[in-house]
Amino acid sequence: MVDDIPIWRIKYLPKNLGEINGREKIKERLKFIIEQNNFPHLLFVGPDAIGKTLIASLFSKEFLGHHFKPNFKLVYANVPLSSEERVEARSDAYISTNRIGSLAGKTITTPAFIQVKIKPFVQLKALGDVPYKILVVKNFEALGSNQQGFRRLMEIYGSNCRMILITTKISNVIDPIISRCQLLLIPPINYDSFKELILKISKRENLEMEDAVIELLYRITEGRVAQSIDLIQLCSISNKVIDINAIYQGFIMSQNELVRSLLLLCLRSEFSKARELSRRIQSNYKYNSQEFFTFLLKELLKLPISKFARNRLINLIAEADFRAIDGQDTDIQVSSLLSKICYFSEFL
Amino acid sequence: MVYLSKKLNSDIPWVEKHRPKSVKDMAIPNTKIKGQRVNLDEELRSFTRNFFSERGKINEENKKIKLFNRTHGEKERKEEKKLSPENAAILLEGPPGIGKTSIVYALANDLNMEVVETNASDTRTRDKLEAKLRETVKSRGIMDFMVQSKQKIILIDEVDGIYGVSDRGAVPTILDIIQNTQFPIILCSNEYKQSLQPLYNKIKKLELSSLSDEEILRIVKKILAKEKITSLSVNDVNLIIEKNNGDLRGVINDLQGIGQGILDENTKDLIFKLHRDNTEEIFSLIRDLFQKVTTLGEARDLTNKSDVDYNFLYKWVNENLPTFIRLNKELANAYDNLAVADEIFGRIRKNQYWSLLPYFYDLFAGGVTLSRKEKVVNEGFRRVVFPRYITSGIFSLSASERSLVDKIKQQYEISDIEAIQDFIPFIRILCQRSRKELKNIAQWLELDANEKKVLK
Repeated sequence: MVDDIPIWRIKYLPKNLGEINGREKIKERLKFIIEQNNFPHLLFVGPDAIGKTLIASLFSKEFLGHHFKPNFKLVYANVPLSSEERVEARSDAYISTNRIGSLAGKTITTPAFIQVKIKPFVQLKALGDVPYKILVVKNFEALGSNQQGFRRLMEIYGSNCRMILITTKISNVIDPIISRCQLLLIPPINYDSFKELILKISKRENLEMEDAVIELLYRITEGRVAQSIDLIQLCSISNKVIDINAIYQGFIMSQNELVRSLLLLCLRSEFSKARELSRRIQSNYKYNSQEFFTFLLKELLKLPISKFARNRLINLIAEADFRAIDGQDTDIQVSSLLSKICYFSEFL
Repeated sequence: MVYLSKKLNSDIPWVEKHRPKSVKDMAIPNTKIKGQRVNLDEELRSFTRNFFSERGKINEENKKIKLFNRTHGEKERKEEKKLSPENAAILLEGPPGIGKTSIVYALANDLNMEVVETNASDTRTRDKLEAKLRETVKSRGIMDFMVQSKQKIILIDEVDGIYGVSDRGAVPTILDIIQNTQFPIILCSNEYKQSLQPLYNKIKKLELSSLSDEEILRIVKKILAKEKITSLSVNDVNLIIEKNNGDLRGVINDLQGIGQGILDENTKDLIFKLHRDNTEEIFSLIRDLFQKVTTLGEARDLTNKSDVDYNFLYKWVNENLPTFIRLNKELANAYDNLAVADEIFGRIRKNQYWSLLPYFYDLFAGGVTLSRKEKVVNEGFRRVVFPRYITSGIFSLSASERSLVDKIKQQYEISDIEAIQDFIPFIRILCQRSRKELKNIAQWLELDANEKKVLK
């Protein structure tokens, strides 16, 4: 049945810790934990889309054995609650019984996210022959001030449920949380294991790839395995021999390239087209304004322009991002940024 | 006598004169419920049919309950049953002039029913609304037991025209009426409005989109033939249709203006000077702001005098800036002012700093228009466009996207956001490149036609 999965990144997804290519040190450490049958709360830190969540869930699977299903939960902190969940959270509010003090008679609500997604899971006892449940929270930094709610949760329910928090930006995680966790840094996969993995896949799929191509792949995807496999699959449709050109063509279709061409349009002072494109990007990929601005910034750093120009443009993006926090209409802020870049391009 | 009838005839607005008698004669706008396409005519028919059958059942039950209450004591009293709001009312939402009101009248005509209408021209305070609707809503005619009197449809038109202060209490009253009504209620509205949120929560919303130019042309041809007008060239007709942006009422009004009219030369000028509804007012306001105004005082005057909601106006300014201001420097300048205005507006809304409002006005109207240093006297006509609403900042999925994401999640552990931003774009490219992949993936995920469309 495995061969029936038409998407390679899923087809070649490792089934257990041993199947993960490279990452020997991390695997060793996790295996040690499994032997000990005990671990503290963990905090995984590393760049986005390199397989942190995969490692966490495979680790949990091995740790929990065949009691995995009821004792494991993966929560995405950056996905907003649906309206039904919001209503559910609100109905759980209660009125304080305090007679004095500022809280007297007030309606007390816990943050909706914790109320709906976290509490029901951590409060229930672990099922089966396992020491505790495992809760994985992805994009933990997106919780913002709701992180405070986790401090108590980690202490009160810690003996019942261990948490693995996953984040890309440790600077956005508050100190009390960091101090309650053991840190595990997860870097991108190194080139040798990357090459080994890609060669294995190309052999299975009867593809031909040169070393230079793999190197290029590693460089443009910055070691992201899933993205690399996607690209290879894309190229393999037209030709069994994969060359640099094909990889590059495939990469151009990704949103990184769209954002890049948006910047280039601005630098050519074509405002109307640029605005059209930016709206398309925003509605296709459903970016919120902050994600969009960070994306712009990331691509800007890759553009070959002078130091002065880059500084100036970063300044403009920062200003727009800042204004969008208070502003009502992000489209205005984005348009404003684009028009300013258009104007600035006259001086280049 | 002949003269008289001719005169009378020309006095009636064509919009009324040619209002469709039956749904069959209409151009029916595309309709969606939560992103899913439906047939508006069928939807309304099934709604009214459903209403009367549900209402009938509940009336029967209530009769029994009443009897019961009469014979039993205070303690055992039973509550009378109420119709659920979803069955009692339906909301049509769409741009002006596409036939929301017309379809209700045409439908009523087809079903041999009467329409009781209230619209924005009535003041809709609690008392007035009740006085107007209560009677119709509750009573079922004295002669009911003898003759089957005509059934009614209640039309509450231009719901979004309910204003907070002057129409105080209107929304709760409407809700109340919806619960007790003996007749189906259809509400019409042009756009989403915050103050109507309690209504949106309770009743089904049909989203209508504007008519296509071809459909409008079909109807326009009919009308032109009936009115025996030959002076308009195909080009002129197309121009009028294009300018109205899917607004059929606007097209017919324009046609009457020109057709009965008096002049053939300067046709364009004539249409553009015709004043119609709010939209036209904004159109001319925007044009004046950019093309006429030269001082801050004038800009201020213009925005003060207009009835257009400022909440709304600065979105129009945003959309139309690049059509009027073409120089990079001026554009950047104008947008700088607009961005600050937007920021200030956000702070006003967030913290209730209403004292900042004057800055907002001056910045978005004055600041923006005055960024234009040189006014070209005769730059000709520039097309004003509707602001487009893009839903950035809110992560929401259409129905078919939602089900696609759910199916992917069954096979592959992934979050909604990752699926939309990363995984689905990739599958989409893959499917565009080869049909075989599309077939495989569709088979693997067991996709239906709607979900496949997302991938194409």
